[in-house]
Amino acid sequence: MPSDYVPILIYLLVATFIAAFALVLPHYLGPRRPNPAKSDTIESGKLSYGDARRRVPVQYYIVAMVFILFDIEVLFFYPWAVLFWDLKWYGLVQIAIFAFLLVESYIYIWKKGAFKWK
Amino acid sequence: MNDLLLLSPEIIIAVTAFLVLTLDIIWKGDRRSAVILPWVTVAGAVAALLAVVYIWPAASDTYGIATDTGNFVPMLALDRLAIFFKILAVLTVALVGLSAVDFIAQRSPFRGEFYVFTLLAGLSLMLLSAATNLVMIYLSLEFLSISSYVMTAYLRRDDRSVEAAIKYLLYGAVASGVMLYGFSLLYGATGSVDLATIARRIGESQVSLTFVVSAVVMILSGFGFKIALVPFHQWSPDAYEGAPTPVTAFLSVGPKAAGFAVLIRVLVVALPEYSVNWTAILSLVSILTMTVGNLVALWQTNIKRMLAYSSIAQAGYMLIGLAAWSAEPGGWAGNGISGILLFLFAYMFTNLGIFAVAIALENQLGTANIDDYAGLIRRSPYLSIALIIFFLSLIGIPPTGGFMGKLFVFGAAIDRGLYILAGIGILNSVISVYYYFGVVRRAFFVEAEDDTPIRVSPALNLVVTVTMIMTLLIALYGQPFINLANSSAQILAAAF
Amino acid sequence: MINQVPVSYYLLLGAILFSIGAGGVLIRRNAIVILMCVEMMMNAVNLTFIAFSRYLDSATGQIFVFMVMAVAAVEVAIGLALLVELNRHKQTVNIDEINSLKG
Repeated sequence: MPSDYVPILIYLLVATFIAAFALVLPHYLGPRRPNPAKSDTIESGKLSYGDARRRVPVQYYIVAMVFILFDIEVLFFYPWAVLFWDLKWYGLVQIAIFAFLLVESYIYIWKKGAFKWK
Repeated sequence: MNDLLLLSPEIIIAVTAFLVLTLDIIWKGDRRSAVILPWVTVAGAVAALLAVVYIWPAASDTYGIATDTGNFVPMLALDRLAIFFKILAVLTVALVGLSAVDFIAQRSPFRGEFYVFTLLAGLSLMLLSAATNLVMIYLSLEFLSISSYVMTAYLRRDDRSVEAAIKYLLYGAVASGVMLYGFSLLYGATGSVDLATIARRIGESQVSLTFVVSAVVMILSGFGFKIALVPFHQWSPDAYEGAPTPVTAFLSVGPKAAGFAVLIRVLVVALPEYSVNWTAILSLVSILTMTVGNLVALWQTNIKRMLAYSSIAQAGYMLIGLAAWSAEPGGWAGNGISGILLFLFAYMFTNLGIFAVAIALENQLGTANIDDYAGLIRRSPYLSIALIIFFLSLIGIPPTGGFMGKLFVFGAAIDRGLYILAGIGILNSVISVYYYFGVVRRAFFVEAEDDTPIRVSPALNLVVTVTMIMTLLIALYGQPFINLANSSAQILAAAF
Repeated sequence: MINQVPVSYYLLLGAILFSIGAGGVLIRRNAIVILMCVEMMMNAVNLTFIAFSRYLDSATGQIFVFMVMAVAAVEVAIGLALLVELNRHKQTVNIDEINSLKG
């Protein structure tokens, strides 16, 4: 039923309003005294240099790939965590084996020097 | 028997794989690892073979193992069909591991990962042949594919190895995506991922046939890719040619065997009630596969590429057995399928033997051209004799295992009245004589430019000897092997 | 009651996404784009699984999706590694220019 979606519509309207409110109001209320240091990209004392669209060295792809893999493996911990009490020791042993394999592969990656920054 | 004990072959292989990996890290790829790791691999495979023999009497047609909290979730079948393919898998691992010793050691820097991936690929073969559940089939199929991609790209300094792996990966990823879509439709139509339950739901005929038809077509394309059946074979010549030769040996046997295992299981367990003219479809694919494989093989100049087309053709012959089974599934179901099993068994030894010869030559010469075989009889009489026996077996001429395989497969087809199919199979075998004996002709009747003897290392010698003896033994003392294939196939017949 | 969208809509969306992915695989020549298209096919399958899982009220489909996600990540990681290696050899990722194996 379309009427089921009314709460979502209201939620969207409220969210839009708050966002617009927070953006528009300071624009009129706040004082504006810009100076070069203030309008710099990083306003923390570190001088910025070069362009933001720099090329990343290709060595980085190994770290990125390893990240993707370990990131995805975490997926399997969630169902186990939800069922932790139901699975008892059996589940704990299973997840321990899984974690052991992950650690083993981590050590392998480490020893092979995948994290060395050339 | 205890569940864990029934899984002991898989556990042994997995533990060996991680042992090899750990040793490789500890020794940092020095001399010790090059000498010891291959033998650790072979020892693991032999231990797993003993475990398989040990659990053989306990194998039954009961499906699956109990998993968490007392729920019985069928994942792996421990029937004799699975155990038969486990024997194939561990033998493949052992023989490939042995024939790779010098090949891998020569190519520096030595890395032990090769043996890790050989073992893991073997593990995936064992799991795939036992899987009774779409989830398990998908996982083990991908496990096998991913190990194969990495093994293909193993010589990553070599353009051709990387190129072969990329082609293999792109074809493989698309094929598995299509297969997966088929799985999702089958799951949606039947509400289950368990093969036996799917069969029951289809039998109750309360499922949408449109879904099932499209699902089955997609799933078969995924399996066809693994076996390299004809519309899905384009990857295999490139992958075989570019891959390191021991890997090619593995690819020509392992994935094909496992592909047949899962194809047989899905057709026999999940889709027997499903009224499609399987015989026509399987016969057509079989005819296409053997004819295309054989005809293209005639023009090849590279031995690995020729063997790639030859193995496509061999898969076509094996498919005849499945077509024969489907023509009369209610009868003695063992007939066509036990023929496939016997054929696969002989084919494994024969093909691994040929590749061992090819590796011996490549170790010395650095190339893999058919012309390199000129004058082999003067350079290494032993390899020449072995080569003849292996090629006789691939053609299917008597005192060899290939003859027994073809006898049973073609015999099953004739028994079920598929005369045309059997005739085309025999015709194709005749065509194949031309290119197989092209190599033999060079080896015996063409003068070599260079008469230096081929030095064969002890490990390779062992592989050639074992495979040659087994190829002959299957024919000369065939009864135990026939019984093995028959009982493996009959358990399957009793399962439904 | 919000779950009133019929299951066929999801299936249709899944089929459309899958076809777009498959079409991309056939048309595009850049290997990275092909990998992305394969990924799209996988996710179309995931959508189909989830839709069926909800429709049939069975959790198996969701488990399958977990497995597919993990395997797809591994496959893409291997694919990207191979492409980086290929790019070092040939300075291209165009599959029409990868043709040293032929016959």
